Amino acid sequence: MKQPLIKSERFVQIAAPLGVGVLFLLFWEIMVIALDMPRYILPGPSAIGASLFADWPTLFRSLMITVQITLLAFAISVVLGVLISLVFIQSRWIEISLFPYAVLMQVTPVVAIAPLIIIWVDDTTWALTICAVIIAIFPVISNTTLGLRSVDPNLLSLFRMYRTSRWQELIRLRIPSALPYFFGGLRISSGLALIGAVVAEFVAGTGGARAGLAYLILQSGFTLRIPRMFAALLLIALTGIVLFALMVWLSDRVLRNWHESALKVEH
Amino acid sequence: MMQSKLKSVPPKPTPGAQTGAEKPSVNRRPVLQVEGVDKVYANGTVALKGADMTVREGEFVSLLGPSGCGKSTLLRIMAGLGDVSAGQMRWWEQGYDVVGDTGRKLAFVFQNATLMPWARVRKNVRLPLDLDHSSRPDDVEKSIDEALSMVGLSQFQHAFPRELSGGMQMRASIARALTTQPNLLLMDEPFGALDEMTRNKLNDDVLALWQARNWTVVFVTHSVYEAVYLSNRVVVMAARPGRIVDEITIDQPYPRLPDFRVSTEFAGYCRQVSQALERASALGEEASI
Ligand SMILES: Nc1ncnc2c1ncn2[C@@H]1O[C@H](COP(=O)(O)OP(=O)(O)O)[C@@H](O)[C@H]1O
Ligand SMILES: [Mg+2]
Repeated sequence: MKQPLIKSERFVQIAAPLGVGVLFLLFWEIMVIALDMPRYILPGPSAIGASLFADWPTLFRSLMITVQITLLAFAISVVLGVLISLVFIQSRWIEISLFPYAVLMQVTPVVAIAPLIIIWVDDTTWALTICAVIIAIFPVISNTTLGLRSVDPNLLSLFRMYRTSRWQELIRLRIPSALPYFFGGLRISSGLALIGAVVAEFVAGTGGARAGLAYLILQSGFTLRIPRMFAALLLIALTGIVLFALMVWLSDRVLRNWHESALKVEH
Repeated sequence: MMQSKLKSVPPKPTPGAQTGAEKPSVNRRPVLQVEGVDKVYANGTVALKGADMTVREGEFVSLLGPSGCGKSTLLRIMAGLGDVSAGQMRWWEQGYDVVGDTGRKLAFVFQNATLMPWARVRKNVRLPLDLDHSSRPDDVEKSIDEALSMVGLSQFQHAFPRELSGGMQMRASIARALTTQPNLLLMDEPFGALDEMTRNKLNDDVLALWQARNWTVVFVTHSVYEAVYLSNRVVVMAARPGRIVDEITIDQPYPRLPDFRVSTEFAGYCRQVSQALERASALGEEASI
C-alpha cells in the first residue's frame, strides 16, 4: 500500500495549488519590497497578515454579519426554491406561465433592484437577505425542476402501471431522482448567496454595528486602510471556499450510493 | 380436444399450414385480445395499423419484427400504458379497469433493467408491493425472498444496482416482476443488451419459471433464435405502418432443453421464421420508398 507521497493523487491535488500559492505570495512580498510600493496602494502579504491579526475583532464582527446574511439567504433560497419547483412540476401550464418571471428575476442585476428593496424594507438585514435570495434562488429552482422532471420514463411507466398516486410518485420516484440535480443547484446557490450578500451591502452601504465585510471594504477604501481591505477580501474568499467545500461534502455523503453516472453529471 | 404439450414425437414443421383447431391452447381463456388496434402518436407516426391478435392463458408468445415496427407500442398497449387510437384492447375478456383488483396481475420487464439506482436490490424488488397494496401477498417478506432466490440473487439483495453486472441487474428486474406473483408477464426485449451466454441462461430460467408458474407470457425480441427457442407461437410484424403480418406456431414440446438449440427441428423453425421476417422487412421497405 505504501507509495511515494509524490505519486499519491490526493497529495498532488493539495500540494500543487498550495505550492503555487506560496510562490505567488513570496513573489508578491519581494516585489512590494523591491519596488518600495506604498502600503496604501499595494500592501505585501505580511502587512495583510498583520492587519488580519490587529483588526481581528472588527473583521470578525463583520464576517459574522456577512455569514449570517449569506446563510439566511441560502436557507430561504433552498426552501422557497424547492417549493416553487414542486409547484412548477404540477403542470406544464404553471411552469410555462411562471418560468419567464423566474428568469426575469435572475437576469435583472441585483444592484439595480437593491436600492428599491432597501427603501421598501426597513430592516437592513432583511433587505440584504432579500437581495441575496433573488440571486441565489434561481439555480435551486431550475436544477430541482429539471431533476424532478428527469425521471427514467420506464420507471415512470412502471409506477403508472401500478396506479401509483401522484404523492407516492413524488416521494418514491421524483424526489430521489432529483437529488443529484438538487445538490448541483445547492453548490451554485451557496456561492451566489454570498455574492448577493456582499453586492447588496455595497449598494446599501450600511454602517454602524451592522456592518458586514462589504461595508468594511468600502470604509477601508475611504480611509486608505488597504491592508484591512485585503484582509476583508481574504475572509470573503475563504467563506466562499468553506461554503463550497461544505456543499461538496454534503452532496457526496448523501449521494454516495448513487449511480456513478448520475454523480458525474454534476462534477 | 386437449393434447398433451409434452408430445413425444414432434411433427415436422410445415410452413404456413396452421389450422388452429388442433392446437391445445385454443380452448383456453383469452387473456389479451387486441382487436383492430391503431396507434397514431401525437407527431403523426402510425405505429400500429389494424393489429389483431389473441393471447390465451398459459401461452408463450413472441413478437418479432424489425426495429421500429411497433413491437414496444403493442406491448405497452397490452400493459394498459397509453391509449389506442382505434380498435380495442381487452384483458381477460374485460376492460383494463378490472386488472389489479381481481387477482389478475400483470408484470412488465423492460429492455434495460430500469432499477432505481438509489435503492438496494431488495428494495427495488419489493417496489411493486410497496406501490400496489391490492397485489400484496399475505407474507410480503417471504414472497420477496422467493423471488430473489428464484433468480439467484439472494446473496446480492443488499447490493446496489451499480454493483451488479448487466445480467444480474436484469435478474433483479425479473425478480421485481415476480414478487406480485403475476399471471401475465410482458417482456420488451429483456435480454437484448446481454451477451449470448447470459441471454441463453436467462432464456432457460424464464422458460422454467413459465412452466412452474403457469404464466402467460408475451415476449418482444428481434432475435429469431430466441423467439423460436422460447415460444408456442411467433407473431411477425412489419413496419410502416406497424402491423402483424404472419404467425408461426412452434409445435415443440417443453421443457425445451439446450439440446433443442442444435436440433434439426430448431433449424427448420428458424429458417421458416427468418423467411417470414424477411418478407415482413421487404413489406416495410416497400412502404418507405
Ligand atoms: N412516444 C412516441 N412518439 C412518437 N413516435 C413514437 C413514440 N414511440 C415510438 N414511436 C415511433 O413509433 C414507431 C414504433 O415504435 P416502437 O413501438 O418503439 O417500435 P419497436 O419496439 O418495434 O422498435 C417507431 O417509428 C417509433 O419511432
Ligand atoms: Mg422496442
